[in-house]
Amino acid sequence: MDKRLRNALKQLTASDTESRRRAMEPFVRATFAPFIGHLHRYLGNEVECEDVLEDVYADIWENPDHLRDIEDDRHLLRTVYLYYMRKRLREVYRRMNRRASLSQDDLQNLMAPDLGLCDLISQEELKQLLHKMLGKLKARERKAIELWMEGMSNRAIANQLETTVGAVKMLEFRTILKLREMLKEHCRASGGED
Amino acid sequence: MMNADREIQELLADYASSLRDGCLPTFLKSLTRDEARRISESRDFWDATEIVRLMNSAGFGDKVMTPDVGLFISRVDAGIASRIKKAQASTRSPSRSHVNLQ
Repeated sequence: MDKRLRNALKQLTASDTESRRRAMEPFVRATFAPFIGHLHRYLGNEVECEDVLEDVYADIWENPDHLRDIEDDRHLLRTVYLYYMRKRLREVYRRMNRRASLSQDDLQNLMAPDLGLCDLISQEELKQLLHKMLGKLKARERKAIELWMEGMSNRAIANQLETTVGAVKMLEFRTILKLREMLKEHCRASGGED
Repeated sequence: MMNADREIQELLADYASSLRDGCLPTFLKSLTRDEARRISESRDFWDATEIVRLMNSAGFGDKVMTPDVGLFISRVDAGIASRIKKAQASTRSPSRSHVNLQ
């Protein structure tokens, strides 16, 4: 863990509010990128991500107890997600679900789930892993996922693959499940948990 | 626009697109009761959403970079200042009401 971050964490868990407030600047500077990247997984909207993160940092300032004894960056991200981000994510989605048909439990599982496979690996590791897994797919499956990740609509992907939108959705669904199996295998092989 | 009575693969595709495009409320509002039940009962759907989130993060997580973290820090500090003010106001208010009663 970065020395500045470790120092900021130490100050952040101090008892007086002013020291904690002063520690927020180095803490935010050191953690903004990984925290907002993680939130983006669940929200996909930069403005929402910033609003939620603003509250998360204020919550941390108010009650930093969970951040005592942090060992490394992953431990920090896991703790912040489980104790601070999830609460705020649930609030966002409770607002969104006023008119929706999902049950509160399903909504929670969809929007602020438990940490799953590889949820704490860095952006770079994740990209490398996905690249490796995509390489193992059939050409058509890989193409569909790559085009989706380039930001293309399903209709545009269907045009590229010369098929229907329905067939593209089915192809993506099956391929995503295939990717999950590969990811499970990867986690098993590297001694991770399912 | 999204169809009514979508199959599970269509629901996943629509969830993935709305997450990628940052418009999840549209997806949530579009769900009918039957579709919500279908989602609830599908293990495959839940498994797939995990991968969709990772794909979204790998493909688009980098774009969410605020150019000026300093500005964001001042927002955080303003939020903290407002919480301090609120806390002070709530501790002061009982004595003020006491004064008013006299």
